[in-house]
Amino acid sequence: MGKKNKRFEHESLQDKDAIVCYLKAVIQGFKKGAIEVSDEEDTITLKPEKLANLKIKADQSKNAQSLNIKIQWSSDQSDDFEETPLFIDPKKAKKKKS
Amino acid sequence: MQQPAALYEPLRFLTLELQKQLYQVESFLESGDLARAEQSLSRVDYIDNHHLNLLRRISEHTRLADQTAEVDPVTLQSYDHINHSLKTLSRQLQEIVFQARNAPKTAFRLLTKKRVRATFKHLTNGLELIEPAIEAEASTLAIDICRLQVRIDQVCQAQLKKYQNRLRKGQQTDALLNASFIVRDLNRLGEALLRIGEGIISANLGQMIQIERYHSLEATLSALSLDPLEEALTIRAMGETKSGCTISGVMSAEESEGEMLAVFKAGDKTKLKEEKTGIESWHEIYPGIAPKVYSYHNSGNKAALLFEYLTGDTLEKLLLERERKALREALAALFETLENIWQETRIETVHPAHFMRQLKKRLKDVYQVHPELESQSVNINGLKNADLKTLIEQAEAFEATLSTPAAVYIHGDFNLDNILYDPLSKEINFIDLHRSDYQDYVQDLSVLMVSCYRLNRFGPQDRKLIAQTMHAIYDYGRNWAETIGDTDYELRLALGLSRSFLTSTRFVLDSSHAKAMQFRARFLLESLLKLPPEQLHTYRVPREIYHD
Repeated sequence: MGKKNKRFEHESLQDKDAIVCYLKAVIQGFKKGAIEVSDEEDTITLKPEKLANLKIKADQSKNAQSLNIKIQWSSDQSDDFEETPLFIDPKKAKKKKS
Repeated sequence: MQQPAALYEPLRFLTLELQKQLYQVESFLESGDLARAEQSLSRVDYIDNHHLNLLRRISEHTRLADQTAEVDPVTLQSYDHINHSLKTLSRQLQEIVFQARNAPKTAFRLLTKKRVRATFKHLTNGLELIEPAIEAEASTLAIDICRLQVRIDQVCQAQLKKYQNRLRKGQQTDALLNASFIVRDLNRLGEALLRIGEGIISANLGQMIQIERYHSLEATLSALSLDPLEEALTIRAMGETKSGCTISGVMSAEESEGEMLAVFKAGDKTKLKEEKTGIESWHEIYPGIAPKVYSYHNSGNKAALLFEYLTGDTLEKLLLERERKALREALAALFETLENIWQETRIETVHPAHFMRQLKKRLKDVYQVHPELESQSVNINGLKNADLKTLIEQAEAFEATLSTPAAVYIHGDFNLDNILYDPLSKEINFIDLHRSDYQDYVQDLSVLMVSCYRLNRFGPQDRKLIAQTMHAIYDYGRNWAETIGDTDYELRLALGLSRSFLTSTRFVLDSSHAKAMQFRARFLLESLLKLPPEQLHTYRVPREIYHD
């Protein structure tokens, strides 16, 4: 609970090609398993889990259109929890001993 | 039952006046003396006074109840219930007098029978028992009051039968008809006793009950020769099940920290009959795991089951209270028990679980609770995502291609709270056995895993222990699958989990939790359907789905 919530935000005007670049950068991050974002003050490294919630929202009105992509996963930074499993496979346990 | 002076006093006066009225009606019917009839009618004014006085005081108390909490609301309701029952009894007595006044003298002669006297004796006894029953801590006297109704019914029915036989002979028809009407009205007086007893029992139990259910408790207890009167038992309400059965604990009254003797479950006959059959089959197939049935009793569409009270905690309690050590022990005991059961109950035939068929059947109920889960198919720039119904259809076809090992005897509703672990004896017991049958063992495992996930606890520590428990169950199942050479374990487990994730949302009111469960169900189906044939046997249910 010690760490404060971190936040990064960026907004700019871009052309189509540049937007494709941004999206590709995000895709690369997903493939690698780490997405790093930073400004002059701070750096955040997100580590996507194997499973994540994906939310895609499209809005269309007279004056504007928008596409929202939200990807969310739970992360666990506390390590004060006992991790020993509640069931130990007897066969595997034997294998380890021998 | 509490005796707040302001209520108890007018109730005692009311009861006293009714005893007088009853006595005078009895002597009138015995003698045919009209003066007695008049005397009995003159009591009605007094009775009305006490009745109204009590009514007024109850309503005063009800208004005050919020502030003072001096008398609990159920007790107030009980006084109200008894008050009305006594007034009804008085009115019925009055009607009997009106009826009898116009009856021919010969009708009176027909009434001076021992059965009619017995009826009055039971009524008199019932009224006399009211005070001691209210003052007693246990409900045994109140049960006795209720029981009198049955006796009255028996004697009156017997008397009516006699009259009917004589009526057929065609003699004294006028007198016989009149006497019949009076006896029929006398019989109805017993109903008041039933309601009075019901009021007292309700106050003792702390919840308003229907006597018909309690009645079956009494019948059940007497079948067990645990006579409520002799054994001085008390009954404590323990709660309700999802299917609407009430559960009570039966304990001896003498010890205040009373030792629980048995569990009494009352409710829908079909459900309880199934449960009884389930328990009995377990005793036959794998003795020692199910509670002993002491007795079963039914009437109409209601039934009651009295069975052994098992000591220990449910696995749900251990998990919710984060009793890690006890939980680990309990799981070890459970896995050992399951292995024994599965080894010993294995039959030759195969009974696939038909997870998708089960899911289709329940889907309507799911949408009723969570209409937002009814999804449509979507297309994102050419990438298609089928609607849930289509997905289930496809998964059903996939399921049909899977192999299932020989069936074992399964619990059928294998939730965490249907498994008891006694830390002293280190034993596992099963309860709620109405769906037990021979089937795929994966059915029980998948239900058990999802019963962990669906728990309404969201603290990070809680969720971690939940995930670990699910993982332990998975590992154990995987281990068993390898032992018996069950190659499609993972695939069937994924289908079973998917089925339970979705159907269990019915019991989850938190909408984001329900959504998380639905997402998991869909995710599992989608991953299965995407599998290329060569990867079918390397597929593993991803452990990430256990985490929130």
